[in-house]
Amino acid sequence: MTDWNAMTDAEFRKEVRQFFEAEYPEELRHLPHRPKFAEIEHWHRKLHAKGWVAPAWPTEYGGMGLNAAKLLIFYEEQQRWGVNRGRDMGVQMVGPLIIKFGTQDQKDYWLPRILSCDDIWCQGYSEPGAGSDLANLRTRAEIDGDDFVINGQKIWTTMAHDATHIFMLVRTDPDAPKKQQGISFLLAPMDQPGVDVRTIKTLSGETEFCEVFFDDARTPRENLVGELNKGWTMAKALLSFERIFIGSPSLAQNALGQLESFARGRGAFDDPVFRDRFAQAALDVEDHAALYARFADQLKRGETLGADVSMLKIWVTECFQRITELMIEAAGPDGGSIGPLQVGNVSVDVLASFYKARPTTIYGGSNEIQRNILSKAVLGLPG
Amino acid sequence: MTQTDILSSEQEDLRLLRESARTLFERAGGSDRARKLRDAGGGFDAEMVRELAEAGVFGVAVPEDQGGLGMGLAAAGIIAEEVGRVIAPEPVVLTIGLSLGLLRRLCPDHPKVPQLISGETVLAVAWQERGPGGAPADATCRYADGKLTGAKAWVAGAAGSQGFLVVTQGDDGQVLVLVEANADGFVINKRAQADGSSLGELSFSGTPAAELASGRAVQDALAEAVVDATALAAAELVGLSERAFEITLDYIKTREQFDKPIGSFQVIQHRAVDLHVMCEVAQAGVGEALAQMDGETDPKIRARLASRAKSRAVTAAKKITRDAIQLHGAVGYTDEFDIGLYLNRALVLSAWLGDDAYHRRIWFEAREAEGAAQ
Ligand SMILES: Cc1cc2nc3c(=O)[nH]c(=O)nc-3n(C[C@H](O)[C@H](O)[C@H](O)COP(=O)(O)OP(=O)(O)OC[C@H]3O[C@@H](n4cnc5c(N)ncnc54)[C@H](O)[C@@H]3O)c2cc1C
Repeated sequence: MTDWNAMTDAEFRKEVRQFFEAEYPEELRHLPHRPKFAEIEHWHRKLHAKGWVAPAWPTEYGGMGLNAAKLLIFYEEQQRWGVNRGRDMGVQMVGPLIIKFGTQDQKDYWLPRILSCDDIWCQGYSEPGAGSDLANLRTRAEIDGDDFVINGQKIWTTMAHDATHIFMLVRTDPDAPKKQQGISFLLAPMDQPGVDVRTIKTLSGETEFCEVFFDDARTPRENLVGELNKGWTMAKALLSFERIFIGSPSLAQNALGQLESFARGRGAFDDPVFRDRFAQAALDVEDHAALYARFADQLKRGETLGADVSMLKIWVTECFQRITELMIEAAGPDGGSIGPLQVGNVSVDVLASFYKARPTTIYGGSNEIQRNILSKAVLGLPG
Repeated sequence: MTQTDILSSEQEDLRLLRESARTLFERAGGSDRARKLRDAGGGFDAEMVRELAEAGVFGVAVPEDQGGLGMGLAAAGIIAEEVGRVIAPEPVVLTIGLSLGLLRRLCPDHPKVPQLISGETVLAVAWQERGPGGAPADATCRYADGKLTGAKAWVAGAAGSQGFLVVTQGDDGQVLVLVEANADGFVINKRAQADGSSLGELSFSGTPAAELASGRAVQDALAEAVVDATALAAAELVGLSERAFEITLDYIKTREQFDKPIGSFQVIQHRAVDLHVMCEVAQAGVGEALAQMDGETDPKIRARLASRAKSRAVTAAKKITRDAIQLHGAVGYTDEFDIGLYLNRALVLSAWLGDDAYHRRIWFEAREAEGAAQ
């Protein structure tokens, strides 16, 4: 097996780039929407055959075992070529949790199925009454013989209508003294009578997230990951990784590239004011990448990230939004038009980018919540 | 009557006008109506157009001796604000500003004038062309001997219009011609917009057209009509922003997280106050600009005032609708909640006739030119 980490960064980058450029289907580059699995299945098969589905997982579980530096390169190249992340909630979220807290049986059963996409996962955390205040979640799971019986409702579950399994936080002890206690981490199959999925249309008319209703749905007891009533701590343990992922420069870099070719094609750079705004955005992205690299170095040295990693997400998501707003500005009278806009030989879907940028400040811990975290945990402000 | 009596009776007239427009729209179903029309495929409600006409809406800025109410742009602005509040898709600003704006200046006796005022007909106005710079000199659409050939772009209200007023190059400078929607050799491509409306891309090949006016007057009247429509679009955005803010304010008072309304968090409170102040500044600024336009005859100064209005209104509407989504959290990103309709409408109205950056530039250039002329 190749030891990717032994390669120089340049060699590794070249290898990754060549593979994407040669193998990634042209028509799937820079997809403006979240694809269903069927749409990207062919690509996933190629990636799977190459052993590249889970770049961050240890090799013993079928991952590439990349260190932080190589991982960054991998993601950079993925973004640069507009390679879709695919249905990666299994790889990004459940997998790492099972690797860290799962039993050997759970690892043996679930991990290969995540890699092969035999199981496609969605994330069932949020509920109507539990958004920013996630610990307020009410969906119950009660032990009944060999099963858990689940009742309640999840919402905003991305791509639940195209998932076979859901990983969820559920309340297993309603009498625990604190809300954060009494929460467990559970895996459940979606294809059963007790699970009802209703899609929710977004304001841009896409079907991207869902409501999931549980009415005496069942899942075997062995699908509890980690200890009973310890789900909250486990979910939090994953957060620092998730926050650096969500704070990575890729979305903004990608949008900046689109903005540049679009604005150039439209002649927007003739306007010195626009040039200044573009330069601001470009420097915002560049300097964010420098800050990101610092955190990445911490990871490379094997240190765990502190609460201060939240600043990456705040900066980059807001920057991403400004970039897409500039695209609209460059579109001028076409700024309200749906669908791709042609400039020269590039076509840019300005509104799709704009819509994609809006919720980045809402999900993954809203930017207000991230600011609360920074002010208390980093700046030490009282309250 | 003293000067103050006249002023306050004018104020009273405007207040009544606002009230009747608001009642009319609310009774018709408010923003729900906009959602239904969008879901039915875009376009507007012809019955609503007639009701608006009965209330005097379309003739509000047409002089009394031409069959209108003669109340001026400030009054039209108040109606436009009410249109914005319920994001009504009817061509109110289009008719008051553009189609009637052109006809009343160029051919006030044309039979289409009373028909537009009475809501019997709706006409879209086409003058822009795609291509380098969009300057008149680059224009390729030509009118000669009763026929039109070429293309026009970004035509608002193209869907549902019975006819098109087209400003284009004739043998001798600019002409205004009328093309029937069902004319031969006329194709309309609709470009879908974020709010469910569409912009028409028109192409003519030897299309029969009736000449209504020609010469320098056409160019001047077009510029004036566009300036009026720009100012009215600003007023529409002000109404839209106000309503979007109200919806958001209600939401943050009722949505609870961490066992209290999210509106009790100070950061949310400050954000709400900022949006409120921005709304008030926009209403004051746009209102003043429109009122000054009524008392001003110099087209350059009127254009500067319209740019003042539009730049302010677009800046406010963008900020308010985008923050409104953020303050709603995930529900704000759904189609089920109305706030998204306001965001989408704001996108379209902002891009139409120039966004804030564009109008700030125009404003500055106009101001410099006035300074130099003094
Ligand atoms: C596109 C998208 C995809 C998503 N996908 C998933 C998914 O797959 N699985 C899943 O479980 N969830 C998902 N979510 C849900 C997401 O995690 C929640 O939207 C998020 O936690 C915020 O919760 P909320 O939407 O209920 O907003 P609320 O918590 O109601 O917040 C509303 C507003 O109040 C602010 N606010 C709340 N509390 C405070 C406070 N204490 N101080 C200051 N401001 C505060 C928020 O920042 C926000 O601006 C998704 C959301 C979106 C938009």
